[in-house]
Amino acid sequence: MRMRKHLLLLICLLLIGGGRVEAQQTRKLDTTTFVVLGEGLAAGMANYGLSEVVQSKSFPAQMARQMKTAFPQPLFQGPWFGDLLGYPALPVRVPTFSQGSVRVFPKQPDPNDEAPTLFVFNLSVPNFRLADSLTRRPVSPVIHNDDAQQTVINMILGFPSLILERDVPLWTQLEYARAMAPTFALVELGYFDVLAAAVAGDPNQIPSPASFRASYTSVVRGLRELLAEVVVTTIPDPMDTGYFSTTASVGRLMRVPESFFQEFYGLGPTDLITRNGLSVIGNQFIRRKIEPLPPDVIQRAAVGAEISNRVRALNAQITDVAREQGAVVYDLAALFNRVRTNGIRVGTTALTGDYFGGFYSLDGYYPGGTGHALIANELLGLLNRTYGESFPLLDLGPIVQEDPVTNYAPAREPGESLFELQRLSIPARRESGIAR
Amino acid sequence: MLQVVPSVKFTVVRSYLLAPALFVSLLFSGNPAWGSAFSIAELGARAAGMGTAFCAVADDGSALLYNPAGIGFQPGTRLQMDNLVVVGFFHFIPLSPPLGTVVPEKGFNGSIRPKFIPVGSLYASQQLSDRLTVGFGAFSPFGLAANFTNFNDSDPALTKYPGRFAGTRARLESIWFQPTLAIRITPNSSLAVGGALVHTHLFLEQSILNPLDDALEFGREAANDVFPGVDKELAARSIARLLPEGRVRIAGTSQTLGVTGGYLYKHPQGIISLGLMYRSAVTHHLDGKASFAFTKGYTLESFVGPDLIPKAFPNQKIKGAFTTPATYSFGLATSAFGNTTLSADFHFQDYRRFSSVPLNFSETEATNKDVRTPAEERLVFDFRDSFQIAVGLEKRMGNMAIRGGYLYDRSPVVDKSVGPLFPDSNRHSATAGFSMRSGNKEFTVFYEAMQFVNRHTNVAGNVTQFTNGEYRNFAHLAGMGLRFILGPQ
Repeated sequence: MRMRKHLLLLICLLLIGGGRVEAQQTRKLDTTTFVVLGEGLAAGMANYGLSEVVQSKSFPAQMARQMKTAFPQPLFQGPWFGDLLGYPALPVRVPTFSQGSVRVFPKQPDPNDEAPTLFVFNLSVPNFRLADSLTRRPVSPVIHNDDAQQTVINMILGFPSLILERDVPLWTQLEYARAMAPTFALVELGYFDVLAAAVAGDPNQIPSPASFRASYTSVVRGLRELLAEVVVTTIPDPMDTGYFSTTASVGRLMRVPESFFQEFYGLGPTDLITRNGLSVIGNQFIRRKIEPLPPDVIQRAAVGAEISNRVRALNAQITDVAREQGAVVYDLAALFNRVRTNGIRVGTTALTGDYFGGFYSLDGYYPGGTGHALIANELLGLLNRTYGESFPLLDLGPIVQEDPVTNYAPAREPGESLFELQRLSIPARRESGIAR
Repeated sequence: MLQVVPSVKFTVVRSYLLAPALFVSLLFSGNPAWGSAFSIAELGARAAGMGTAFCAVADDGSALLYNPAGIGFQPGTRLQMDNLVVVGFFHFIPLSPPLGTVVPEKGFNGSIRPKFIPVGSLYASQQLSDRLTVGFGAFSPFGLAANFTNFNDSDPALTKYPGRFAGTRARLESIWFQPTLAIRITPNSSLAVGGALVHTHLFLEQSILNPLDDALEFGREAANDVFPGVDKELAARSIARLLPEGRVRIAGTSQTLGVTGGYLYKHPQGIISLGLMYRSAVTHHLDGKASFAFTKGYTLESFVGPDLIPKAFPNQKIKGAFTTPATYSFGLATSAFGNTTLSADFHFQDYRRFSSVPLNFSETEATNKDVRTPAEERLVFDFRDSFQIAVGLEKRMGNMAIRGGYLYDRSPVVDKSVGPLFPDSNRHSATAGFSMRSGNKEFTVFYEAMQFVNRHTNVAGNVTQFTNGEYRNFAHLAGMGLRFILGPQ
């Protein structure tokens, strides 16, 4: 009996000892070459486009500045030419009016010496699906007038390679990242996959967990093989974004009671109105004529719930793959959910997940500068905790002050009041409803 | 039209990658090192069995090495050959290797392959008269073999030995062909002098384009073209990772002259013997070749062209010079205890002479604009003087003899020069030997266990070479000798 007791004690001591060894092991981070594989969110997309203004505020760019590491980006001069979720595709016209060039070249003392960076480290491509990271590569010519997405890929992953006289490789996103010999990689992929499905209102467009896992494993393994430290982000739930508004939040935005939407449009309390739906309703208000809403601007609660479930399933795969491959997980989805659920206060400014809530830019699903800074700070904090680093966090005060997104508000007519809108809606009551 | 940079801009990549005089720091940059202290003391099986305390004994052919005056006491004709085999175990546990480096459980292995290093010696002497004896020896008092190459060039960088940029392989053979004349100046004392033709072969290999060192020079020069608008130092660090890894091999030979001298006093009853020996320092002027090889498939290769780097570092003739130290030995021995001989030696070597090694390349930017090998690369070692203390014992029993000894060797290698080529430290050796004589033949064997004191280095200047860490070495030495005594015993 005593022997068993001693044996148990020994096992406990060994376990405690083992735990101590584990606790003492601190992972090390080398930020010499920091590459980012992402889609529009990590690229810095905001306000319906990508330009050097918003790119400089992307969370990876803000992180790189705090980490004091090189982070060349494929900077663009606006206006953006890529396709936008929720809007029809347009022919590619670049350069277009007001553009001197498409890619912005870093300034040089002699303007004749200005040239783009030979390589970029922010490899994030707007409208990029996870599978695209493994398969899509630049294709000559640089501009495809009928294919905006290929042109975007060319301008990010294939520029200047496509215009060099030499026969140089045209890499996929993952191949490009590997070619840069990264010491630290951040993977923000999957958001567009679910966002596109959510905007289309079709959960079936979301990749199956199995196929997603296979592709995600390829990406993370491809980076870990190079012994790079890898941080992966979970996929935010599109239902948490400002693209999808509850009737309560639209009521606050439109300055009408929440019951208005049930009464005039037949919406349930859990149904969501899309960003485009806000435009439709706003236009009806301006025209002073309430009409049935087109079906594609309403996200029924059941569809939203199904999308959320599928996003959670993909995030479970991301977490699993990260554990298998030794990557670190940043729960980006949790931040978006927190913003949606409780909002976030930065100084005296309250940011919410509503449209015009200060967190999301005009597109509704990509954050503004402050949102990116919040993400950057959370990631920096994660790096500090995980790797024993001491990267300084961003001072959010000045960022909020300078961020136009935090000041967005609906246009108001002088003297416009809640009463007038309510009165406006009454004559149209009989015609209300959603177009079927 | 899309405004793009003229593509000719990127043909400039070639020139800006070549622009710097980067090669100055490319070869043996940081704190390079050659092999461990490269003296070889165990070149006679009988002497080695006595811990090499043989300067005042010097009673066989190896006297030509330990104290040439000893042949003056050896009548008739003597022929001797000795062989030494070294099996070394060299392990290095890096202090701060690059992140992610896969360090083997017992550290990186620096043992040569195959593990056995054979070293042979030949000695002959002929008494010409009661007073004059001539001898000839061919032996290698300096030699080195080190190999920390645990990888193929195409292996992932982080599985490779991290100190490879300070060296991967070294091999040195310095062979003395030494005719000697000994004169019995009194019945009990002898004086000897010898000249030597010293043939030396040196081979060195190391990896180049260390992303934390010499490759940064590329990066700085190319920074504004590869990553315009990015801080030059930050850009350089990233560009350095996009370059190939290279290896340079340098091999050369020299023929030069050395001298040696000795004095030996032997008391007629063997109460005391006293020996003095001097072997000159030799400066070796090497003629040889430098060759370069680079990994393929590196990121910048397609952008700068596959021939840019090879053209910058062409294979070429090279000259170099280094000095092996002088040796001063003093020994005492006594046979006052019957059939037992006790001996003690003190050896001093002025390794300070081995302070730097100039290497002169034959192809430079002055003769070919594509070339970046410098006119001269000077390798700094700053060795310190070293000494050895040896004590030995021989017990004769009829036709047999047994021996034992101890040797302490103070390493000349200073901390900053400890690395893959010189994984050296102070050493303690215990030796044992045995001889059996049959007629005019004597067969001898010996064994030596050489324990290197574990050495820890942490030199700031070596951080980017990754040679700081712990060196754990041990060597087995064994040998045998065969001696023919023709004429009087």
